[in-house]
Amino acid sequence: MRALVTTARALLITLALFIFLFPVYWTVTMAFKPATEWTPTSGKIYWVPDEPTLDNFRRIFGGTPGGSDSFLVSTPINATDSIVNSLVTAIFGSLLALIVGTFTAYGISRYRAGGKMLGFSILQLRMFPPIAVMIPVLFLWTYLQLFDTRLGLILIYGAVTFPFVVWLMKSFLDEVPREISEAAIVDGCTQFGAFRKSVLPLVKGGLATTALFVFILNWSDFLIALVLAGNNVVTAPVFLSQINSAATGQEFGSRAALGVILITPPLLLSILIQKHLVRGLTFGAIKR
Amino acid sequence: MAEIQIQNVTRTFGRFTAVDDLDLVIEDGTFVALLGPSGCGKSTTMNMLSGLLEPTRGDILFSGEVVNKLKPGDRNIGFVFQNYAIFTHMSAFDNIAFGLKVRKHPAEKIQQEVHEVAQLLGIEEMLDRRTTDLSVNDLQKVAIGRSMITKPGIFLLDEPFSNLDAGFRSYMRAELKKLQRELSQTMIYVTHDQVEAMSMAEKIAIMDRGQLQQYGSPDDVYNRPSNRFVAGFVGSTTMNFLPAMLDHSGDDLVITLPIADSRPVTVHPRGAEDGSDTFTMGIRPEHIELVEPGSSAASLRATVTLLEALGPRNIVHLSSDKFLFRVAVPPTVRPRVGESVGLELDTRRVHVFADESGKALV
Repeated sequence: MRALVTTARALLITLALFIFLFPVYWTVTMAFKPATEWTPTSGKIYWVPDEPTLDNFRRIFGGTPGGSDSFLVSTPINATDSIVNSLVTAIFGSLLALIVGTFTAYGISRYRAGGKMLGFSILQLRMFPPIAVMIPVLFLWTYLQLFDTRLGLILIYGAVTFPFVVWLMKSFLDEVPREISEAAIVDGCTQFGAFRKSVLPLVKGGLATTALFVFILNWSDFLIALVLAGNNVVTAPVFLSQINSAATGQEFGSRAALGVILITPPLLLSILIQKHLVRGLTFGAIKR
Repeated sequence: MAEIQIQNVTRTFGRFTAVDDLDLVIEDGTFVALLGPSGCGKSTTMNMLSGLLEPTRGDILFSGEVVNKLKPGDRNIGFVFQNYAIFTHMSAFDNIAFGLKVRKHPAEKIQQEVHEVAQLLGIEEMLDRRTTDLSVNDLQKVAIGRSMITKPGIFLLDEPFSNLDAGFRSYMRAELKKLQRELSQTMIYVTHDQVEAMSMAEKIAIMDRGQLQQYGSPDDVYNRPSNRFVAGFVGSTTMNFLPAMLDHSGDDLVITLPIADSRPVTVHPRGAEDGSDTFTMGIRPEHIELVEPGSSAASLRATVTLLEALGPRNIVHLSSDKFLFRVAVPPTVRPRVGESVGLELDTRRVHVFADESGKALV
């Protein structure tokens, strides 16, 4: 009986892993496939590239893959700017949400700031998809001259992910006994000093987890960046969607190449903060 | 060192009054226990003394100066929390040094003073360890060390030993008392454990429902409780209470018990009568003796219902009519359940409380 359960569990995990990891596998292999292997036009599905190539990566960084006479050559494209745009808007948008959100959460957790309803009214900001209000925001942003600017995207990313920060950080801060900050205050700290020296170090795992979560949300945004920007400021996901050529139509390989590049920052981040991540996810075991 | 004056202090939370018109002067260098059941306002009082809470009304004075608006850090106090509030991300050394570091003392001085405090508490060899590796007992010492480091004039301890095991708790009680004598500082100690309060404090302030019930020495609160609440709260085995009829036509008070065949008890009144119609007599289990049921000393007769053998003494549960009594007897006295005995009341130790106000007459 026990063996059966173990086997069933292993099977289930394998299935889940397959479902989650197959798209990643397909993207990574696709990135190294030459154009002839992108689609099974030759009647063969390429599970791994037959003739691995870096052409896709050259293509998205302005190169002319396969020489100047290649049939792939159309207008040269370069993804560098879009990656920089994505980095800047996602990082600063996330920072904005983290800073404002953490302080809000601290106020709600410690001092019931805003009464019973503030936490809930912040949460209701996420009860509809953000895109539902993007058209009004578009008018507002145009009026404020924030349309198609990095600042405009930073502000909207900060606003959209702010509720997540508040609720995640509130749950982490609730776990810290209030005496911790009171002890620091009695010992001569200011309110902010007590927060920084005694409370923040105890929730840094949670903060790291929240930061990663929010960064991934902002980094992978497509729709908001498409509506509120897209001319001067093109983010990487928007750029990715526009990689086409007259000769081949959809450039699956080049898109996959950019996709591989876009996976890298969140992946590196999560490896870097892995220790905190586990701690953040197993929070609640804080020693009293 | 500081004298603490709490003048007509009231603290409300919305419509709830946590501390109600508290008036108390704590003499400089006294070890005071703030005693009361949960929710009696003792923690609120501590938080107002520390400055974490502001009084709604009234003033708090340290050495004659009003400190209502003073920040906690500027009040020259040390605070030990019930859950220690140890900074688990720091070593024991950094925890103790925290108050000095915040006040930007030079590193050398910090080093020296932390070691002095650690030596006093016997935790020198643990200074470099992470606090997550320390036992609960050692954490408590670190917390006390942290509150001592700035040499505060007033120590506030909020049920500091309630999480310790019994043996270490009594050891820490003795240590703390010794420490207080050495530092001769004003120390206020919150507890709901009356044994702890009686054994440690010079003075005990008993609170209930936000109001001060009595402030006096352990001897005072035990032998001369000012009201029925204090009488019932203090004492390791609860005082026996039963309704009483009073005759105060003479100088003495004659108490008639509502029990058939009982003899009236004559006592000397201590306080004035306050117009109450009904009264309650109280007597501690240790002030009743078991005698022969027919003895002339016996005020009443009762039947043994249960015997609790506690070791140093036995507690005998008895019933007489519908009233229940508890009597403390030496361990050698072991009446059988069902046995009929006489109860001799120590008339000098009988208390009488007015039912309406709860105030003690005797």
